[in-house]
Amino acid sequence: MVAALLPLGGVLGLLLGGAVLLALAQSLGLAPWYGINTFPDFGYFAALWSSDGFWQSVALTLIYSVVATLLALLLALPTATLLVRRFPGRALFGFLYRLPLVVPYGVGIALAVLMMGNGGLLSRVAATLGWISDPAQFPRLLNTHAGWGVIAVYVWKQLPFMVVAIHAVLVAADREPAEAAHLLGAGRWAVFRHITLPQIAPGIVSATLICFAFNMGAFEAPFILGGGYPDTLPVLAWRYFNDADYALQLRGMATVVSIAALTGGLILAWLLAYRAYERRTGRLGHDR
Amino acid sequence: MIGKPRPTRLGPAAGLYLLGIAVLLVGPFLPLVVQSLAFRWAWPDLLPSEWWWSARETARLPLGWDYVLSPYSRVWEATLNTVGIGLATALVCLIICLPAARLLARREFAGKRLVELYLALPLILPEAVIGIALSLLFIRVGLAGSHVGIVIVHLIPTIPYMLRLLVAGFQSLSPEVEEQAAVLGARRWQIMTRITLPLLLPSAVAGFLFAFLVSTNLFLLTFLLGQGKIITLPTLLFSKLSGGALDPTTAGIAVLAALPGLLLAWLIATPLRQAWLSR
Repeated sequence: MVAALLPLGGVLGLLLGGAVLLALAQSLGLAPWYGINTFPDFGYFAALWSSDGFWQSVALTLIYSVVATLLALLLALPTATLLVRRFPGRALFGFLYRLPLVVPYGVGIALAVLMMGNGGLLSRVAATLGWISDPAQFPRLLNTHAGWGVIAVYVWKQLPFMVVAIHAVLVAADREPAEAAHLLGAGRWAVFRHITLPQIAPGIVSATLICFAFNMGAFEAPFILGGGYPDTLPVLAWRYFNDADYALQLRGMATVVSIAALTGGLILAWLLAYRAYERRTGRLGHDR
Repeated sequence: MIGKPRPTRLGPAAGLYLLGIAVLLVGPFLPLVVQSLAFRWAWPDLLPSEWWWSARETARLPLGWDYVLSPYSRVWEATLNTVGIGLATALVCLIICLPAARLLARREFAGKRLVELYLALPLILPEAVIGIALSLLFIRVGLAGSHVGIVIVHLIPTIPYMLRLLVAGFQSLSPEVEEQAAVLGARRWQIMTRITLPLLLPSAVAGFLFAFLVSTNLFLLTFLLGQGKIITLPTLLFSKLSGGALDPTTAGIAVLAALPGLLLAWLIATPLRQAWLSR
């Protein structure tokens, strides 16, 4: 049994475990290869957490991640429930809606620039309709701290992922309870809230967790489409990590550990909330 | 909405909603293709006033797609790296996941949930955390900037998907066939190569293609651990994008970076191809 798990467990254990331990050790001042060994030293965390703009970076990272995840979920829920039905063009829709899923984030960023930039297609359409007469009159959507471009790229890439995840659970779910409730006179909203939603809840939880965690560690969209200083946490970590000053490199490691702790804590909170919900709806009793 | 027994048609509002989603997701590809073929596309024109093929006759330097496909753009090197790393990653990932998937699908044991959680960890550890922390480790052991190092690091995000597909594959094939072969005197490797693997082939192929796709789309891990020495289509696209304006050559590279995924999506969409062929 152990032999079967060894290759996989070993690769993951060495890579993830090694990476996490090394990052943790360095962020606490253990970096003998730079001639630094002051372990355990919480000074790098203290310096990071009191540095200018750090908490703004935390807020921006959280806002982009949460807003994008919720928006994608909001758009994906009706799409997934409608996809269960049969309609003309369903095969074509099933092919088209997955396209963003299969291309790199960089392509999404290129599309955001071409659509949403001040010289982009949306501003050209606005000009053609006579609403604006100069590119500068178009509202700035990219490279501001409002993050419209960053959020748009996340939503565009992740909406299909959520539809796939929720649709898979929906197809496997038993349809009889919903049909019975409908026959007994329950309205659409009541059927959705009391029957379909609990059925697809596991799909929603895992899809939102994966997208949220990804967004917390995403680099290229905020780097290219973000508003500059203060940057999101991964961009900040990368800037510190590439600094020639060793002390700042260690601060970069403290940033990396902070991202992991923040993401892990929020994921844990979300999972605990989901468990409480499951217990309330009485599911935990019979399936585990 | 969901309760009616086997509804067949969508209402107009629902149809419009799905149309809107399709336009939102696919529509933006259109200006990308147009931009890759443009030579002069002044604001506020909706289409370019001069196209690449009319401008190329008078130009001294290669323009648009001529430049993208020329050695100057390094597109060929990036494509070769992307495809080669993708194939190697998918193959190694398949091999190391097979025994674990078999075990997870067939056996119950204490701590199984914990093992499953551990193997799903790459999905919830932010990529920047993995990448930045690992780049230091890889520099120490001399794997940074090498193809081997990139393949190793690409295993991390591909493992959870491969494992999920393989576990589902093993679950759908009953262990009895293997037991019968064993009773009839087949050796272990004969059972593996003659029975298990052929029956598992669809899931193994799906896992392989999915891992290939994830690998070809990865940017951050390649960027951090390639140390600029290893160029793939996503890293080439990133360096063009962070250079500022989105010119026709950047658009062309974006189209090329999208191609592996689009081709795979087309290959996998069998119901669609069948609908097309049976018309």
